[in-house]
Amino acid sequence: MALVKLKEFCIPDKPEQVDACVAKYGENALILAGGSFIHGLEARGLLSEVEALVDIRKLGFAGVTAAAGGLHIGAMTTFAQLEQLPELGSAPWLGALKDALTYPPMQIKNAATVGGCLAAACPFFDIPTALLALDCKLSTNKAGAKREMNLADLFSGLFENSLEPGELIIEAKLAKPAGRAASAFIKLEGTANDLAIVNAAAYIALDGSGQCQEARITLGGGVGDNVVRSSSAEQVLLGQKLTEELLQRAADAVGQDIQPMADHRASAAYRLAMAKVFTKRALSLALSRLN
Amino acid sequence: MTNLNVVGKSVLRQDAYEKVVGGKGFPVNISLPGMLHGKMLRSPYPHARILSIDTSRAEKLPGVKAVMTPKDVPQIIFNPIFFMPADSMAIHRDMLILSDTVRFAGQPVAAVAATTVAIAEQALSLIDVEYEELPAVFDPEDAMKEGAPEIHAGVKNNIRATPSFGAGDVEQGFKEADYVFEGTYETQRVHTCYMEPRVCVSDTDSSGHVTIYSSIAHLFGLRERLAYALGLPVSKVTAIQAPYTGGSFGSKLDLAYIEALSALLSAKTKKPVRLEHTRYEDFICNARHPMKVYLKTGVKKDGTITARYASTLCDTSAYSAHGPEVIMVHAYFGLMLGYRAPHTKWEGTVVYTNNMPGGAFRGYGAPQAAFAVESQIDEICEKLGFDPIEFRLKNTPRQGDPHPFNPEWKLGGYALDQCLTKGAERMGWSNRAKAGSASGTKKRGIGMAAHPIWVSGCVGFPDIYEHSGAIIRLNVDGTAYLSSATMDIGSGQNTTLCQIAAEELGLKFESVRMAPGNTDNLPFDAPTHASRVTYSSGNAVKVAAADAKKNLLEVAAIVMEANAADLEVRDGMITVKGAPAKAMSVADVVKRAESPFMVVGAQGPTPTTLKEKGTIMGISSVAPPANASPAVAEFVEVEVDTETGQVKVLRAVYAHDLGRVVNPAAAQGQVEGGLQQGIGYALMEQMLFDPETGACLTSDFLDYKMPTAVEMPSKIECIFIESNEPTGPYGAKSLSEACLIVPAPAIANAIYNAIGVRFHSLPITPEKILAALGKL
Repeated sequence: MALVKLKEFCIPDKPEQVDACVAKYGENALILAGGSFIHGLEARGLLSEVEALVDIRKLGFAGVTAAAGGLHIGAMTTFAQLEQLPELGSAPWLGALKDALTYPPMQIKNAATVGGCLAAACPFFDIPTALLALDCKLSTNKAGAKREMNLADLFSGLFENSLEPGELIIEAKLAKPAGRAASAFIKLEGTANDLAIVNAAAYIALDGSGQCQEARITLGGGVGDNVVRSSSAEQVLLGQKLTEELLQRAADAVGQDIQPMADHRASAAYRLAMAKVFTKRALSLALSRLN
Repeated sequence: MTNLNVVGKSVLRQDAYEKVVGGKGFPVNISLPGMLHGKMLRSPYPHARILSIDTSRAEKLPGVKAVMTPKDVPQIIFNPIFFMPADSMAIHRDMLILSDTVRFAGQPVAAVAATTVAIAEQALSLIDVEYEELPAVFDPEDAMKEGAPEIHAGVKNNIRATPSFGAGDVEQGFKEADYVFEGTYETQRVHTCYMEPRVCVSDTDSSGHVTIYSSIAHLFGLRERLAYALGLPVSKVTAIQAPYTGGSFGSKLDLAYIEALSALLSAKTKKPVRLEHTRYEDFICNARHPMKVYLKTGVKKDGTITARYASTLCDTSAYSAHGPEVIMVHAYFGLMLGYRAPHTKWEGTVVYTNNMPGGAFRGYGAPQAAFAVESQIDEICEKLGFDPIEFRLKNTPRQGDPHPFNPEWKLGGYALDQCLTKGAERMGWSNRAKAGSASGTKKRGIGMAAHPIWVSGCVGFPDIYEHSGAIIRLNVDGTAYLSSATMDIGSGQNTTLCQIAAEELGLKFESVRMAPGNTDNLPFDAPTHASRVTYSSGNAVKVAAADAKKNLLEVAAIVMEANAADLEVRDGMITVKGAPAKAMSVADVVKRAESPFMVVGAQGPTPTTLKEKGTIMGISSVAPPANASPAVAEFVEVEVDTETGQVKVLRAVYAHDLGRVVNPAAAQGQVEGGLQQGIGYALMEQMLFDPETGACLTSDFLDYKMPTAVEMPSKIECIFIESNEPTGPYGAKSLSEACLIVPAPAIANAIYNAIGVRFHSLPITPEKILAALGKL
C-alpha cells in the first residue's frame, strides 16, 4: 500500500522546525532530501507506517568546498552538482566517486543528494560504495548539537541508519591522501536504469618503492545489509607489489567478507562470482590511474 | 512508381508536437465535469472462492459514491478479445466482470467510485472480503497432471484446446531424411510496456446509453465487447476515438475490467467515472504467452527439408482470452508456413493455470516460434556445414509462388532472397568466423534470423474481422479531412493514412488532416493489429480518396468545360492534361460545389448549376483482396563478456521487403522499436512471480528490465526493399510485427557464434551464459 497513514507534509525553513515535526511523529517521520527513492520504497509497501514527510530542501547544506586538505560536500549537494566539480576530473584518488557519478540516470542525478543517498542506507546504491572506499567522514546536526562520525558507522542495517530521530547529515568529508593514491568504482547493472546487482570500489595508495601502503575495497549491491568493506582482500594487498596475480588473489578473497543475497535479479552464486570479477576490475582500473 | 509526391517522403507527423508535450488527445487526459474516480480491489490469492464481501464500512466513508461487488454486475460470460465477433464459436467465453471465483493473484473482486482517487483507494481498505483459498497451479505441465487443481469447472486436466494440422505423411518424411534434428525451445512471459496506462472514462446516461473514452487499439471492438459484457445492444454504446494513444503493441486489443466497471459505476452514480491502471495493474493486465515448442526437422544431404513436426504447449493462464487463437497464428505463421516441407504435422495444447492473463503482443505467437525455427536452422547449418543464407534460399518461396497459407493468392511482390543477400553483404557475413573461435575475455559473434511468411492484416483468417472504412471530405480552402476508425497507437498510422489520401487526391500532405470520430459516425474498422494498417486501412483510404477525387473532377469538368477523364490533380491544382495553362485550384472547385446558386466574383455574378452542388467527398468500406506477405532477414553482431555473461548488441542490419516505403522515418522507427523489444525478449525481459502466492515480482521498471537507449546498438541499419506488392496501396505491404519476430533468434545465433554455446530458452541472461560456460 501507499503512504496510507500520511498525516503531514512538513517543509521547514529552519533546522529547529525539523525537530518539531520529528518530535511529533518520532520514528514515523521520514526525512526527504532529494526524494528520488521514495517511489521505489512506497511501491514496495515499505512506507506504510510513515505519518509525516519532512522535506529539508529549504535548509541549505548544498555545495562543495574543495580545499588543499580534501573535499567538504554539503549533504544537499545533488549528484549533478557534484559531477561538475573540476577536481573530480583531475585527481586520481577521487576516481571512485567520479566513476560512481557516471551511472545514475539524469533524472536521478538532478534530484538525488549525497546526504540523502547515504542516510537511505540502501545497499544497492553506488555513491555509498565509492565514498566508503574514500574513507568518508560525516558531520551531523541535531537541534544545533554537532557530531562527527565515520561513514562506516552510519550503516546499521538494511535501510537503517544510526542517526537519532531529527539528526541530519550536514556534510560528507574526504581527506586528500598524502602520497600516490588512486581509486575506481565499477557497477554491474541489468540496464543503465538499474540499481546495482553488484558494485565494487577500490582505493590504493603506493609508497615510494611502489608497494601498497594503503588499500580499501568496498562492495555493494546485495552482498550484505549495507555496503561492505573487505578487509580480507585489503590484507592481501598491503605491503605488496601489485601484480595482476595479486589483484586476482585479493579479488578472490572478498568472498570471505560478503554475504551475497539471492533474489529474482541474481542468485547468490552469481553475485559472489561477480563480486570477485568487479573487485578485480576496480583494482585494475585504480592501478592504471597510478601509471 | 516514380511520380509519387507524398508517399515515400518522411513528412513530419502532424501530431508530433502535441504528443511530445503530453497532449490533450491522449485518453489519459480526458476529464469530464463532475467526474468520479474509480479503483478496483484485487485478490491477494491466485485461486480462491469468495465467501462474503462486506462493503458497509467503505460505503460510509465520506466521498464514496458507489461500491460494486460480483452481485452488482451482469453475470454474462464473455471473452475479452476485440477482433473476433463476441458470439464467435471460435473463442472460449469464461470471464465475468466480477466473479465469486478468483483464478489469478490480482483479479479484481470489487470496485469503488469516489470523489477523489485517494478516497477511492482508502475505501478499498475498508472492504472486508472473506476468501476460501483453493490450491493453485502455475506450471502448465503440472496443471495437466491428474489431481491438479481444477481451474474451470468441467475442463479436464485444465486443457482448454488441442488443435492440430498437417499435410502429407510426416513419418514418411522423416524416413526420407538423411538427418533428423530435434529440440525444445522455451520462451518467457513478457509485457509490452506501452507508455500510456490503460485508462477510461465512461458516461452512462439516464437511458442506459454508455459513452466511453478509452486507451484502446480497436474502437469498434470496444463497442462490441463492452455491449456484450453489459448485456446491451451495440447501439447503446458509443466509443469515442482518441486522436492518438500512448502505445499498445497488442496489449489494448481486449476489454479490460476498468471499461466494464466504469460503465457500471457511472450508471449507478449518474456521473462520469474514470479508472486508470497503475503500472502494477498494467503489468498484470496481459502479457505475451510463454510457450514450450518441440521442433523436429528432417533434412536431406543437399539441404532440402523433407519433414517438419512441431508441438506447442501454451500457458493461456487463468482465462482463455487469446490463448486458443494465438497458438494458431503461432503454428501457421510462426512455425510452419515459412519453410517448404512436403510432410508436416503440428499439435498444440492450450492449458489453464493460475497465472495472470495472456494477451496479444506484437508478433502474436510468432516470436516464440521464430526462436525455435531460426535457432534450429542455425543448428542444422552448423552441424551439416551449410551456409545459413544458402540453406534458407533453398527452402523458402520465391516471388510469383502461390502463398503457402492460401494458394489462391500469389506472392505478388516478394523478395526474401534480396533481404537475405543484401543484408548478408551489408553485415559482412562472408567474414563470419567459426563459432566459438573468438579469443580474449570479450568475444564477438555474428548471427542472423529470417521470417519468410507473415501477414498484412487478417484476410483469410476465418474468425477475425478484416475490413476498413474511410470518409474523405474536401473543404472550401482546398484541404481534406480524413476520418477512419483506425486507431493511431503511436507508430504513425494517422500520418501514413494521410499520406496515402494526399497522394491519391493530388493534395499536399499538409492539406490532409485526420479528423477523429466515434462509433456513431464512422464506418467499421478492424483493429490496429496484425501489421495491417498501411496495407488494409491504407487500401480503404485510397478507395475513399479515389471516390472523392472522381467527384471533385466531375465538378471541375463542368466548371473548366473539359472532360473529367482529361483532368489531373497535383499539389492542389487541377489541370487539363497536355494544356497546363488551363488550371483551377481544388479550393475553387470545392467552393463552387459548396456555394449558393449564384457565385459573385470579380467578373460579377455567375450562376452555378445543380450538377455542381454538394459536398465533395468519398467513402469506402472494403477489405483488401489478399493478405500480402512481407519478408525479413536480420543480422546482428554481439559481444559477450565471458567473465560476467553480459551481452552487448553492437550492430544490427535489418532487411525487409515491405513492398513500398510510405514514410521512411516512421519505417525506421518501427525497426528500431522492434529491435529494442527484441533485445529485451532475447536478453533481459521476464515477468517473475512469487512461486507460493503467484504475486507479480516485476511490476514496475525497477524490477522489470527493458533495454534503455544505452543498451541499444549505436548502428541500426535498415535495408528496405520495395517489391511493389500488386494488392497493396502504392505497392505497400506490412512492416511492424516482423521487426520483433526476428531479433531474439538472431541474437541467440550470434551468441552461439561468439562463444559456441547454444541456448534453448529465453531470456539469455548473464547468469545463464556464465553457468553454460562452466563459471558458476
